[in-house]
Amino acid sequence: MTDRSAAAAGADAGGKLLERLLDGEPAALAKAITVIENAGARAAQVLAGIQSRLGHALVVGVTGPPGAGKSTLVSALVGELRRRGKSLGILAVDPSSPLSGGAILGDRIRMAEHACDPEVFVRSLASRGHVGGLSSAAARVVDLMDAAGKDVVIVETVGAGQSDVEVAQLADVTVVVCAPGLGDEIQAIKAGILEIADVLVVNKADLPNAERTVAQLEGMLSLRDPGTATVPVIATTATEGHGVAELSDAVEGRAETLGGSARAGKRLERIRQDIADSAAELLRRQLNDSDDDGLRALCRSVQRGELDPEGAARRYLADYMGNKA
Amino acid sequence: MTDTAKRTSRPPRVLVTKIGLDGHDRGSRIVAAYLRDAGMEVIYTAPWQKIEAVVKLAVEEDVDVIGVSSLATDHLLLPDLMAALGAAGLGHVRVVAGGIIPDGDEAELLRAGVNRVFHPGSPREDIVATVSHLAAQARATCANG
Amino acid sequence: MSEQPVQLPLPGFESARAEWRQDYDGRIDRDGSLRNRSGIEIKPLYTCEDWAEERYMEDLGFPGQLPMTRGIYPSMHRGRTWTQRQLVGFGTPEDYNQRLKTILAAGGTAGSLIPCNSVYRGYDCDEVELPLLGTCGAVVNTVDDMDLCYRDIGIGELSTAVNDPLPFTLLALLLAVAKRRDVSWSRITGTSNQSDYISHFVANHMFFRIALPGSRRVLVDHVAFCQEHLPGWNPISVVGQHMQQGGATPAEAMALTLCTAIQYAEDCRTRGMDPDVFLPRFTFFFDISISFFEEIAKLRAGRRLWQRIVRERFGAKNPKAWRFKFHAQTSGVDLTRQQPLNNIARVAVQAVAGIFGGLQSLHTDAYDEVLSVPTEEAARIAIATQNILREEAHLTDVIDPLAGSYYLETLTNQMEQEIEATIARIDAAGGMFAAVEAGLPQDMIGKSARVFQEKVDSGQETIVGVNKYREAEEPTTAPRPLERPDQSAMEAHLARFRAFKAERSQAAVTAALDTLARAANAAPGTPGQNVYEKVVEAATAGATHGEICACLRRELGFGQPLVMP
Ligand code: B12
Ligand SMILES: Nc1nc2c(ncn2[C@@H]2O[C@H](COP(=O)(O)OP(=O)(O)O)[C@@H](O)[C@H]2O)c(=O)[nH]1
Ligand SMILES: [Mg+2]
Repeated sequence: MTDRSAAAAGADAGGKLLERLLDGEPAALAKAITVIENAGARAAQVLAGIQSRLGHALVVGVTGPPGAGKSTLVSALVGELRRRGKSLGILAVDPSSPLSGGAILGDRIRMAEHACDPEVFVRSLASRGHVGGLSSAAARVVDLMDAAGKDVVIVETVGAGQSDVEVAQLADVTVVVCAPGLGDEIQAIKAGILEIADVLVVNKADLPNAERTVAQLEGMLSLRDPGTATVPVIATTATEGHGVAELSDAVEGRAETLGGSARAGKRLERIRQDIADSAAELLRRQLNDSDDDGLRALCRSVQRGELDPEGAARRYLADYMGNKA
Repeated sequence: MTDTAKRTSRPPRVLVTKIGLDGHDRGSRIVAAYLRDAGMEVIYTAPWQKIEAVVKLAVEEDVDVIGVSSLATDHLLLPDLMAALGAAGLGHVRVVAGGIIPDGDEAELLRAGVNRVFHPGSPREDIVATVSHLAAQARATCANG
Repeated sequence: MSEQPVQLPLPGFESARAEWRQDYDGRIDRDGSLRNRSGIEIKPLYTCEDWAEERYMEDLGFPGQLPMTRGIYPSMHRGRTWTQRQLVGFGTPEDYNQRLKTILAAGGTAGSLIPCNSVYRGYDCDEVELPLLGTCGAVVNTVDDMDLCYRDIGIGELSTAVNDPLPFTLLALLLAVAKRRDVSWSRITGTSNQSDYISHFVANHMFFRIALPGSRRVLVDHVAFCQEHLPGWNPISVVGQHMQQGGATPAEAMALTLCTAIQYAEDCRTRGMDPDVFLPRFTFFFDISISFFEEIAKLRAGRRLWQRIVRERFGAKNPKAWRFKFHAQTSGVDLTRQQPLNNIARVAVQAVAGIFGGLQSLHTDAYDEVLSVPTEEAARIAIATQNILREEAHLTDVIDPLAGSYYLETLTNQMEQEIEATIARIDAAGGMFAAVEAGLPQDMIGKSARVFQEKVDSGQETIVGVNKYREAEEPTTAPRPLERPDQSAMEAHLARFRAFKAERSQAAVTAALDTLARAANAAPGTPGQNVYEKVVEAATAGATHGEICACLRRELGFGQPLVMP
């Protein structure tokens, strides 16, 4: 096959795939996610094709330490939202093993209740070495689910510093889940969570000390600027469904206060972020592949201690990228 | 890099599951870890899956290979699974089975389209190599089909 | 002409040891470090430096006396041999009845009832796919089915072990049969073999499961019921076998079993029952792997720990409460599909370990364990193995015959420490119930299973015929006929089941199930609201196994087996 005919075949399959995806066909959504994960020409085409269809879905981010009960809670939340007539897309991100690159994707084991519900589409994603813990494809996968007509898209990710922030950038509503007895962890994540959480959940309310954890969090919230938006703290027992209706109300309520334009603004912000990420990636590749004399000279300057790496980077951008652009 | 070359660099996606009534999971846990350690992305389920649920999962997760572990005769349901996969347009997905599967039944499973049956004592390398080979096959079939 | 005898002075201990060490090191070229499955380092030689006679009373004592190391009865196997308990179950109730009669004729002294997988999962025969019915056990759903299982067999004379997970519907059906046959419940003897719901959550993901808190409640109700109505019945069998077969090391399996027993005892005590009354009815069930000395040490250490636990934690004064009664089964995981006749040798070695470990009851696996449920011939050889060990090899002549071995006594002490360390870990997690809720033992077992597999994969542990001494071509036995339940007989059974449901008094069944649901929702311990009593009443009224399970699953919630690789 020549390059051109391959591209044509790709375009054709991409076109059909897009149509089926926009029709909400699960198999097409699944394939499209694979295409996006692989990046490449076909991915760009699919992405371009869905842009005009975005913005319907409410995107909910669920983050928090491992074992807090996020997956169990997502399953319960899905149950409640299904009763409210919503269709759902769920994106569950688990870490890849840094050694082998493999992963055990086990979040959906907690979602067995919805194993046969056609209105619930679950996709597991391995982080594949992406620093933040959120798979780099996550934002695009969310868009695909949105384009496929899901009313609500839930993204579950292991809260590990950076990914909390990433999920907040991605989601319309960010739910941070913790569990009693994780006192130290609350301290550790405290710095970040108050900025990003729209809703705080203390799950495992059936365990001792849940009330204390709720009180702790409320105490921390009360120290914030009076001007900042109120963040509800909700106690849930995901395994029994307690507090889940309340959580659904909070999530949906938050979406309403946000309103369409705020969400659209957030999306623009995300697109900018996407462009920045892509630009950084392109640049990294270019520098790694390049055997440019100037770059080599810069390396030697750093080696000799005349420049620090950041200074060298600035000079490279100014001298070369500037000229080439 | 061409689109196809990239696709092969994506780790194989494998579902490790159990259907029917059986709950022996020592083997399926070990096999899931084998595959993960060999760099594959493994979607792991609890035992007792319904065939309908396995098919839905295979669609959504776009898996290349389904591995069913069966030690308490639930492999007798595998022909039903094969038929259901075919009906859902997942003909390209490769299926392997492992566990206690008597010789007489093995032939029948292979006839029904199961690609390979593993017995107790199967070496790790054999399992890993076979699954990764089948995953590549599944992708090739899918890309051409 | 006779030689002059060579007379040498006895060397001193120290110098002899030094000389041996030197000779030994000169001959062993590899680093001789070995560990057993529980991770304990095994030395090449043990002497009185490791264990000495002064410790006799503290470590051993006499059989039937504290610290129980040498056995729980004064006469042990010399007085009463172990029970030969072979697990059987296959096909329809008639099939089971046939098998049981064969086993009894071959020298078996007690019956075990293994139900079909559908029964384990809490379903009636009309709720699952036909091909799966009766493949691994007998399909028993109604009082009529149970009656058929024991046709021409006196249920008042036989000790029955029922593989009957919570909510113990099979025992309920048996009690209904007793009523029907006018056999007094006081003559029903045996054990609820699968009462250990914790082991099911941890390592046996098939048995019907009510969510953990509900299971906890029903078990205590069951114990209370048996205490009142069934003086000859052991309501609790704590099962370490599942955990070890699932991958736990011998020490972990023993520790987790003891922790489970502690949990059950605490739950019963919290309900107001007297440890001196309920503890004597506790029994245990262990796996015996082929790690010979380790298994003997495990069982001896377990016995010693249990008497201490019941005295220290529960203040048990009744000597019967100190007895660590256990059934044991040879490990199926050690058996191979390759060269299957080798398994006869493996089972014999495992069985010897169990016997030397002081078991009360023994199941020997059939050599075709890895092929399917045993054929009749294989099952016969398994029983013959026990007869040979007992009557030809005379293993029962001497009580605890390996006691005083430097190695075994050292190992018993080390295993005891290892077990205690794991118990401490579970205690720190809030006890076994809390630990299981948090998934701690599940992870422990998965990890140990992988570590062991790693050793097999790397050839560090030899498995004959699998990773060493392989034969060129496989399989080495002729393909054998598959024993599968006769489909037409199974269809006839289904028809009979439907007829049973059509003919019974529907009103009585509905009323009984309503009563059951009410009891399930009453606070635990409410007088007159014992859930198990209502299960027995429902079974007697004609409710089926599946109906009772469905009712409790609805009222008490369902527990998913959420165990990760
Ligand atoms: C361990 C065991 C148990 C443990 C299970 C613990 C657990 N959590 O897994 C316990 C004690 C709980 C148990 C219980 C029962 N068991 Co059981 N058990 C076994 C035993 C002895 C070993 C299985 C094992 O774990 N082997 C070790 C693992 C690593 O090997 P493996 O699973 O075979 O996996 C290897 C290969 O087969 C292959 N493989 C397996 N799966 C897969 C999947 C994929 C995708 C791939 C690529 C490869 C692969 O790769 C692995 C590595 O080589 C077998 C007999 C035997 N020796 O096989 C009986 C056996 C399976 N059990 C049996 C039965 C009947 C039961 C019970 C129903 C008994 C009862 N009546 O109470 C119960 C309930 C079952 C349940 N748990 O749901 C029967 C089944 C009969 C049949 N099929 O006809 C067997 C065959 C024993 C017998 N002959 O009677 N059991
Ligand atoms: N007691 C209790 N346990 C819970 C609750 N929610 C989840 N769990 C348990 O917590 C463990 C981790 O749950 P999971 O949903 O996988 O957590 P994740 O890692 O945050 O996704 C599991 O054993 C759950 O059953 C709850 O509300 N109460
Ligand atoms: Mg999770």
